[in-house]
Amino acid sequence: MTVSAPNARLTTLHRADGSATYSHGGYSILGSVNGPIEVTRRDELPEEAAVEVIVRPSVGVGSPKERHLESIIHSLLRSVILTRKLPRSLIQIVLQVMTLPEESEESMSPTASTCSLPLLPHLLQTALLALLSSALPLSMTFSSILVALSSRDHQDVPTFSPTPQGIRSATSLHVFTFSQRGRCLISESSGTFSFNAYVEAYKVAEKMCTDPVGQDQDEDIMVGLDEPAHNLTSFVRSKVAEKVESEQRWRRNS
Amino acid sequence: MAATSTTANAPSALTFPREIFAALQPRQYLLAHLSPASKSQTSVRPNGRKPTEFRKLSVNTDSLTHCNGSAVVRMGNTAVVCGVRGEILLARDVPNPPTISTNDEDNDRDELARLGLLVPNVELSTGSNPSHIPGQAPSGLAQSLASRLLQLLSTTGLVASKDLRIWYQPIIEQEPEVGSEPEIIAYWTLYLDILYISLDGAALDAAWLAMLAALRSVKLPKAWWDPDMEAIICSDSIADAKALSLRGLPIPAGFAVFDETPEGVEDTTQEKGWILADPDQFEEEHCREHISVVVDMSGDAANSIRAIDKRGGSFVDVEKMRTIVDLTQQRWKECKDVLDAQST
Repeated sequence: MTVSAPNARLTTLHRADGSATYSHGGYSILGSVNGPIEVTRRDELPEEAAVEVIVRPSVGVGSPKERHLESIIHSLLRSVILTRKLPRSLIQIVLQVMTLPEESEESMSPTASTCSLPLLPHLLQTALLALLSSALPLSMTFSSILVALSSRDHQDVPTFSPTPQGIRSATSLHVFTFSQRGRCLISESSGTFSFNAYVEAYKVAEKMCTDPVGQDQDEDIMVGLDEPAHNLTSFVRSKVAEKVESEQRWRRNS
Repeated sequence: MAATSTTANAPSALTFPREIFAALQPRQYLLAHLSPASKSQTSVRPNGRKPTEFRKLSVNTDSLTHCNGSAVVRMGNTAVVCGVRGEILLARDVPNPPTISTNDEDNDRDELARLGLLVPNVELSTGSNPSHIPGQAPSGLAQSLASRLLQLLSTTGLVASKDLRIWYQPIIEQEPEVGSEPEIIAYWTLYLDILYISLDGAALDAAWLAMLAALRSVKLPKAWWDPDMEAIICSDSIADAKALSLRGLPIPAGFAVFDETPEGVEDTTQEKGWILADPDQFEEEHCREHISVVVDMSGDAANSIRAIDKRGGSFVDVEKMRTIVDLTQQRWKECKDVLDAQST
């Protein structure tokens, strides 16, 4: 039960304050972060920064489905970014879907697909990486995963980041987002399932998302580099390590 | 004598009337209400309810005369009206019609989605709430609600597409007894229009319940293809009209979490919080974490959960989610009784 390794590149856009390209399982998303920038009077908050999330679909203009995704991402990023440190400003996050996996519901008939869950974890991961690249103050990092439960012989079998066929045959889909300390930040589920199945999905997702290294080894940032990026926290960790490495080039060359 | 007069004139502690305290320090106000004065007392919310107490639901169906089905739902100060209109979509106007498998009636999600036979629309800008100014483009919340309703309709499979098909059996003049294959000549498209008369929290719950009650009251007239007129004809007779056969009875319940941690302090060790069932507008604004659960106990009681949506915070873990699901299941029974009382 492993996850195919995701792929990401930080700071792919040069004019944005922060950006990242993230691709995983046929999905590819480009995210950019600008901020803190000037905010319009209407959106200005006196004690914290306003966060604006824009999700752009791969085809056409945004629809109510994108608004729904934006509202979920906004509710998370509002508590992840230390908005109180940047009052009366705006942090704008744009997430552009570049490619969707072939044969997925979204790519075959973009208007007809109603389920927004398969795309959500990828959008969240991209947003986090873009925020890391922008060096805005964050209270935590998080990782997000899609778990599909399909029933086989009256047993619920969990699959991580399922293929489009797996999504279609699943009885329920669950998106979980955990902070690196293992707190559940987002839980979106749909389908037909029992509470025990939910707990099972929760447990396996928690294991996949939270830090295997342990909290007391925080200083040893390079630990995650050598092992394969099956754990999503290790993946984020390795990306941060790469970023720090490239930023410290000047020091080593001198 | 002099001593008593000085104590009377001494500046007393700063006090405010209730409303001003609520406006100045909303979080403190909520906290003061929720933390009980003594161990024996239970917490009471500013609106007088217990933390896990829902508002009373009242439903009135068939109040709009020119809809196929309609309902007005009220929960406290949240009032929603939903009207369902049926329109006819001719099959010949559909490009790339989906293949219909008539033997697999339970799996028609794709057909409904591809043809777009269910069209929910949410209108918040009716003066229902000061934050939604009338005469503006649909706000993010309205679009998000419409999208969630459509998603729920799809995952619960509430409406069966077989109720929406209009069949036609061509008669071959030479051999009338042989009969040819019946074909789908048209579909009913249901426009589900949801208007908020007043919004005081729990927007999704009220919208879904109104839509559910309206769909239960829908009567679609008998429609057939008239080959001579080359048009669909609908019967006037109410006796011919048919109700929809809805699958199950999914009922949502909304919750908000109020935690003691002041806003802007990222303290993960703080564990004190209250789960507030069916929050009103004031509570919704000052709670960051929101949870919504949809259950359907009418079928398989073990697999009763249809959707869970939790966002905005990290207070609720698996164990607290269990209590929330239990509360939703109790709420399901209450709502079912109200809806059943209305339909008989």
